[in-house]
Parts: sequence; C-alpha cells; structure tokens
Amino acid sequence: MTKKINLNLTWYSIKKNGILFIFILLCVFLSIITPGFLSWANILNILRQSSIIGIMAIGTTFVIIGAGFDISVGSLLALSAAMCVGLQHYMHWSFAILLVLIVGALVGLLNGFLAAKIHIPAIIATLGTMTIVRGLVYLYTGGYPLYVEAPDFAFIGTGYLGPIPFPVVLLVIMVAFWQFILVKTRFGRYACALGGNKEAVRLSGVKVDYYHILTFVVGGLMASMAGVVYAARLLSVTPLAGQGYELDAIAATVIGGTSVSGGEGSVVRTLVGVLLLTIIANVFNLLGIHIYVQYVIKGAIILSAVGFDTYSKFRE
Amino acid sequence: MEIYQDEVHALVGENGAGKSTLIKVLVGAYKRNSGEIHFNNQKAEFDSPAQAFQNGINVIYQENSLIPQLTVIQNIFLGAERFTPLGLIDEKKIYQEYLSISEKLGFELPPHEEVRNLGVAEQKLVEILKALIHKTKFIIMDEPTASLSENEIEHLFRIISELKSNHISILYITHILGEVFRIADRITVLRDGKKIKTVFTKEVNRDEVITMMVGESLINAYISPTTGRKKSQQPILKVENLRRKPRVNGVSFEASPGEVLGITGLMGAGKTELSRLIFGADKLEGGQILVNDKSVRFHSPLDAVNQGISLVPEDRKKDALVLMLELYKNITLPTLAQFANKGVISSGKEFDITIQYIKKLDIKTSGVNQVVKYLSGGNQQKVAISKWLQTEPKVLILDEPTRGIDVNAKVEIYNIVGKLAESGVCVIFVSSEVSEVVKVSDRILVLSHGKISGEFKRGVSQEEIMRMILQADK
Repeated sequence: MTKKINLNLTWYSIKKNGILFIFILLCVFLSIITPGFLSWANILNILRQSSIIGIMAIGTTFVIIGAGFDISVGSLLALSAAMCVGLQHYMHWSFAILLVLIVGALVGLLNGFLAAKIHIPAIIATLGTMTIVRGLVYLYTGGYPLYVEAPDFAFIGTGYLGPIPFPVVLLVIMVAFWQFILVKTRFGRYACALGGNKEAVRLSGVKVDYYHILTFVVGGLMASMAGVVYAARLLSVTPLAGQGYELDAIAATVIGGTSVSGGEGSVVRTLVGVLLLTIIANVFNLLGIHIYVQYVIKGAIILSAVGFDTYSKFRE
Repeated sequence: MEIYQDEVHALVGENGAGKSTLIKVLVGAYKRNSGEIHFNNQKAEFDSPAQAFQNGINVIYQENSLIPQLTVIQNIFLGAERFTPLGLIDEKKIYQEYLSISEKLGFELPPHEEVRNLGVAEQKLVEILKALIHKTKFIIMDEPTASLSENEIEHLFRIISELKSNHISILYITHILGEVFRIADRITVLRDGKKIKTVFTKEVNRDEVITMMVGESLINAYISPTTGRKKSQQPILKVENLRRKPRVNGVSFEASPGEVLGITGLMGAGKTELSRLIFGADKLEGGQILVNDKSVRFHSPLDAVNQGISLVPEDRKKDALVLMLELYKNITLPTLAQFANKGVISSGKEFDITIQYIKKLDIKTSGVNQVVKYLSGGNQQKVAISKWLQTEPKVLILDEPTRGIDVNAKVEIYNIVGKLAESGVCVIFVSSEVSEVVKVSDRILVLSHGKISGEFKRGVSQEEIMRMILQADK
C-alpha cells in the first residue's frame, strides 16, 4: 500500500514538474548549439515575445482551473486593442485603458454567466461570444486598421524600465500577482475546488456560481490587458488581430500542466508553457522551418500535452 | 457458493451485507482480492462486465441500463444486430426473432416504441429480452421489484419461472423475504460480507431466515454508550409538511439538541431527498423549516450553514469531497474565511486544525498534504465529517455515513456520533441499515414513499422496524 502511494506521488510530481525538466533540457541544449542563446539580450527578447500571450494565458489558466474553457479571448484582444487606440481620440490614453479593461471584464462576466447560470457548455458559450466580439471589432474599425497617435502610449509596448522592456515587467508582475491570488486567497482556492467538484463545493456552503463566473472575468480582464500591450507594441490594430491567440494561450496553459478537466494548475507553470512555445517557435525560425509546418507541429504538441493529462487520468 | 442450472437462487442479506459488492466482483466490475469463480465448470476470469456479458452472464440492475431514445427492438438487439448479406441491418429478421422470443415467454411489448415512453416494469422486460437475445445463460437480478407495482411483480414472477423452464439460471437479489419464498429454489444468506448459509427454500421458514440475516454480527455486538447525553426539551429543528416531488410527500418531525434521531427506510423512500431539502441543497416545494421556533427559508446550502445546519452527503465522491485536492483543503472548504487574514489564507492555521482532526477522528493518512483520492473509504468519510464538525454545527445530518466502509470504521463513526450528541449536537442519522440505526439512535423515524410511517424509541428491535418497513412498502 505504502509503495503504491509513493509510486503515485512520484508520478504526480513528474506530471506536475515534467514541463520544467523539458524546459531546462531544451534551454541547455539550445545554449550549447547556439552560443548566443543564454545572452541577456536573447533572454529579454524571448520574454518580450512571450509577454502578450503570457498575460492572456494567466486568465486562461484561471478559466481552465475552474473546469471552464474560453476561446473568445483572441477576439477580445482585438476588440480591446482597437478600442484602446480608437478611444484615444476622445480621451487620454490612461482613461482609454481603464475603459478597455472594464469592457474585457464585462465580456468575461457574460461568458461566465452563460456557462455557470445558463449552463451552456463553456466552449460553445465562448464560441458564440468569440463570433460576436469579432463582429464588434469589424463594426468598430469599419474593417480598416487603426493607428496609434499618442507617442507616450507606445511606452507600454516598446518602453524600457532600466534595462528591461516594460511588457516583460508587466508580465512578471502579473504572474506573481495572480499566482498569489491562486494560492493564497479564497477565490483561488475555490476556483481549484469547484473545478475539481463543483457540487461538493456548493454543498460546502460556497457561492460556487459567483466564483465560477469570476474565473471568466479574470479571463476577460487579462485578454484585454494583453490587447492593450498588443496595441502599444504594434502601434496599429487590424481587425484580424489576435486570431488564433486563444489557442496559444490554451496550449501554454495545458503544456504548463493545468488539467483540462479542471481542479489543478499554476500560473507560474503556465508562464513556463508560454516560454517553451516561444522558444520552440524561435528554434523553428532559426532552422528555417516553414510557418505552415510549424502549425502542424504546434498542434501535435498540444495534443501530446492534453493526451498525457487525460490518458493518465483515465488510467487511474 | 454454487448456483445450479435451471435454478432460481435468492441472495438475501441486509443493506451493507455485501450483496452488491459480490455481484460486482462476480462480473468483474471490481477486482477481487482472492478467491475463484467457476462458470460452466471452467475457471472464469472476467475483467469487465462486458466480458462477463459476452460469456453469458447478464446483470439487471435496479437502475436500468437501456438507451431511452432507442426503440424497444433497437435496445434488445443492441450489439447483436442481424445483417443482410450487404451488411445493412436486417430489420425483418430482427422483427421475426423478436416475435418468436416474446411469444415463447408469453408477453408483448410495443416493439417500435421508444424505451423512455415505457413504464418501469416494461423496461425491466426489455432488459430480460435483451439478455435472452444475447444468449445469456445466467441472469443476475438486483432488487428487480424495487419500483414495480403488485401486478407487475406477478408478471415478472411468471416470466422468471418461464425463464427457468428455458434452462436459464437466475440469481435473485432482494431483501423482501416474501418474494424469496415465492420464487426461489434455494436461498443464500450474506452477513458482514460472509456467507452464513445456503438452504433449500422448502426446508426453512421466514423467521429462521430473518435470524440468519440479523445474526450476531459485529455491528450488533456494538452497544452505543448513551450515558452523559442530555436531551434538551426545546427542539432546535422542526420541519413541517416538507414536500418535493416525487420523493418527499409531506414530512414533519422535530429534533432536539443532544439527541440522535435515526431516519431509516428502503432505498428510494426519500431519505436522501429529505436530507437535501433540510440543508437547502434542493428547492422546497411546500412546507416549512423552523430553527429554534423561527421559520427559515434556505435558498442555498450557505443559508443552512449560517443557521448551524450541516449535511454530510450520501455520495462521498460526488457530493462531499474534492478528490483531487489535499486533505487540509477539503477540511477547510466550508470555513475558509476563518483562515484568512485580510484575504490572505494562512496555510499554517489550516494545517493546525487539520492535524487536530486527524488526531480527534483517528484519520489514517500520510499527512495533511495527502490527496484525498488515495484515502480508504472510511478515512474519506472521516474527512467529510471533519469538514463539517469544523463549522460547529448545531444540527448535523449524516446521510448513509457508513456506506461502503469496513466494519471497524463503522464502529468508529458510531462512537463519533455518540460523542457529538453528548456535546449537545443534534445528530440526524440517516441510514437504510436498520441494524445500525437501532444501535445508534435515541429515536427512530421510518420513512416510506416520502412519508413518515412510524416512530420508535430506543430499545426497539431490528425485526420490529423491518416489519414496519416492509408492511408500509406493500
């Protein structure tokens, strides 16, 4: 019996931290074959490339931990970016950002309401809002790209704090903050618990629907924040912005070991998942692998990560 | 234990005697720890019910396993469809086979009706036909009459004797002795997971079988200490005419601090539904709940918790625990706010309280961080109880708290219940195991068809209650 438990624990820790091993191995390998890999400049570069998806994936992690799913975040990023640029004609960019974040949280609220209260399966509910929001992007932009005019707004996407790019600072702060929320607050605990067994948590006298919806609000909020960074980094927004980003965010979350059936996960490990995807993309570019082929490989990686999780659960 | 060909063999025993577990082991739904199974004089190794099914053993469970949207014929021939040479489903051939077999058994069902539109009894017949089409030689029926009317039971019995003359063996599981004496050739009595005796039905009478069922089991040897209990005169909980269709049809009772109120009855009598109503887990359709003589309305379990009412639900895995979370996270779930300072949870405090409960209830675990999934049933139950003790409930409802746990753990749970009552908690002990209800409770209510059909004081015998339950049921 004891032996079995130990075995289970080892299996558990491998499952939990396997991604970290792979990540470190890959880094060591890459630093050997490409001398510049571990240079300060390259590390910052990788972090900066990861910042937009990274910020978005924090929200995705909360949603998936709560046994939900949100595929509307790519569209929401586009809407947020477009509004953030467009609203600057009428107000200071800081107010525009505030307004955009509120819109993001509201879209999350709608997603959560549809999933928790109306009981539409989350993937279908957010498929609906994904389409609606993308429609709103076209309506808002009229189908044309928007350009950023306020130069100080660009700081958010391209500026530096000391030697470190601002998006990277923002990413690190957000990861630390939300990891803290996940581990140390009631919301975080309840999110995990209700993802594991919502009925048991309800029968524990917890307002489960409230917390369930809150996970989607975090998802929407972080997608909007990612949208703001996106606008400030590219200094222009096309109506097609953010397409497929939801898949990257979900992939990073799952590769980071968050269970697709909910109940367990970590924001920090999601960050590792994002970095891993960025590095792999970098390597592919260095090796000259065509972008079309990259899609195929990325899909295979996602399926492997999810399959590993679901199959090991099934075996139990 | 042996079952002959062409025999109707009854398996009887109280709830918790191990009947269901035995069947599940038999057909490979559970892994057996030791022992052998022989079928048709060959050693049989079934890894799954599907494999047992292919080998001619079929179980008809209480809950039926048909697909409601398919028609009678489609269900019967599911997995055994007949095909035309082109590989299409041969509807004609299927229909003819259906006619011949239903004629042989002497009953008729509407073949093209969807199963969801049939009555419960008819659905049972569909299952029997399905078993026959799949060349079953041995049918296990688990409480087949549980939801049937008098007429339907008659019909079922006729079919069972028909099956017998068609060389099919039947293992008939029930706790209704009247049925056993009508149809069974032999009876095997189980108690505490052991075979007590196999007898020929002709050679015994009813009382002898009851004695074998009740017997000197470990649980019966347990005597609940009642000293030190001071039942308060003022009831803390009163419920009046509670209703929720279809299972709760007007229940009224009161319960006082310091007493253990037992509620028993057959499966499906409405015990679980009643518990959930009092806890605010389901919506009340009628009646009212009074706590300390004040009428209260529960919109969610949270409201009940705030009034000092707690429920340890029947289904541990589904309703009581988050299996993939650690022990301490499960225990602090209802009271997490108490462990937070300005919104930040202190795990240290959580560990302290968890360690307290591990000691208090003697939970066998590798530590506060152990994932609950890997605990044994009895220890999981203790975690579920700890979780609620922590809220310091005034009324604690335990729904089937000893289901699926071993005898020693059961006795431990009884002791916990006794201590709680001593400390002034009102414990409502809901269980379909009459033997334990009799031992643990100060007062016992019998529930049948969603109504209270009898009330007893401590000291009542198990037989008396069983008689009352069976009477009310028929």
